[in-house]
Amino acid sequence: MNLSRGRRILASLLLCILLLTTACAAKAPSRFDAVQQESTKQKSGQAVSKNATQGSKLNAFFPKSEDGYNRVYTQEKKGFSEANLKKDGKVVAQLAISDTTSTPGTASKYANSTKTIDGYPAVELGKTQTSVLVGKYQVKVISKDPLFKASEREDWIEKFDLDGLSKLK
Amino acid sequence: MSKPIFELVDELPTSGLTVSLLNALDFVAPGEWQNTVGFVNTIKTVTGETDEDLIQAIGERAVYLFNDKSQGYQTALWLYQTVDGTDKALGAAALANKVGETIPLLGFLNSITPKPDKAQTIDLTLKIVVELVAFCQINGIPGDSIGDFVAALGEYAGESLIRMVALICVDGILPLGPDFVQKSLAFLSSMNPQELDQNSTFKSIKDAIPGNGIGGKIDFIGQSLDSVQGWMNGIVSANALTAQKVLNNISGFLDFADDKLDYVSAFLDVSTNYYEHTGTQTLARRLIERAVAEI
Repeated sequence: MNLSRGRRILASLLLCILLLTTACAAKAPSRFDAVQQESTKQKSGQAVSKNATQGSKLNAFFPKSEDGYNRVYTQEKKGFSEANLKKDGKVVAQLAISDTTSTPGTASKYANSTKTIDGYPAVELGKTQTSVLVGKYQVKVISKDPLFKASEREDWIEKFDLDGLSKLK
Repeated sequence: MSKPIFELVDELPTSGLTVSLLNALDFVAPGEWQNTVGFVNTIKTVTGETDEDLIQAIGERAVYLFNDKSQGYQTALWLYQTVDGTDKALGAAALANKVGETIPLLGFLNSITPKPDKAQTIDLTLKIVVELVAFCQINGIPGDSIGDFVAALGEYAGESLIRMVALICVDGILPLGPDFVQKSLAFLSSMNPQELDQNSTFKSIKDAIPGNGIGGKIDFIGQSLDSVQGWMNGIVSANALTAQKVLNNISGFLDFADDKLDYVSAFLDVSTNYYEHTGTQTLARRLIERAVAEI
């Protein structure tokens, strides 16, 4: 009697363990679980501020096509505009302006910046990115081709109408 | 609420009928499409960055952007998913019957029915409209700007280009022939609005199609098709695409008798989800490109 009861307990314990382990195996934890939870507390407006400037107003400050480089706009959203920079039909870099109202952390990284481009605080990030902060806007050039070096990114940042952008509210 | 974007990208398959189909169509756009799967892997591939903290920051911004409904990314994904209408059970059964390198179509002749030209035309045109609307939801050009869309088609590359190639081959040329665009335009101009209104895919997505009432939506569909026809015909003629040429390439993974060609397109239509698969990849790429620029 006691033995069979013990077996039953053991069986139910094993069943529990089986269920627990398979349940866990079904969905592995992700390094993005926390941000998923945080970013789904509201349905709309959590990624882009209501007051962010429309992307269509940012296009005017981009560099023009020149010297075999072709600029093709690719994204235009609220608070963001982006273009491909192409040479010989190949994308060598991406050019972007974003409104940091939606991403306060982006603006704060310039507090420690020791470098400037055309008088604006500049930051180099990772292997592919160089950016400046112009008022509330971040202007960034991202290499898409390893031959497009940091010095070229700086050159292309200077080709933006940074002073014009600094006057945009 | 959609599944988290990182899960969707993590769950993209590395093999199966959809992947085989897209690989088989590589001859039209050589080397354009790599089946990039996994969220972190996609971030690394798209950005070329390797620093884990940086990758985390890019991924977190992308997750935020996707989850903000006002940004349109979820609508785009839903459109890509909805227009596919895949019969997953059939796809799985086909794989289970795989003999050697190829899948014998013979065993599925009873479970698939070739669509009449009209139904096939509606499928094709709805996929084109979904591409247009999803493109605008993702990239932000207002939803009725057909001109910008056409200009951007020239920029189509990678997973977006192979999606269009599959559309041309599987939903265009195989069922309707190389002049599928002209045929579809002719059909649209003579279509009874009720025929469209009864289509189940149209019913699901009609609210996302610009235009007042059914008449306005048919006009929009016609304009979309009209504006991409030059580009699509260009791909057909540049590659001298014919049904036979497409079939020759597909025969690498699907085994069929020459008198059952009608069934090949019907089978691929229900057993693959190339729109959803490559649409998820396009969406992930665009989100990541925006995220890296904003952090």
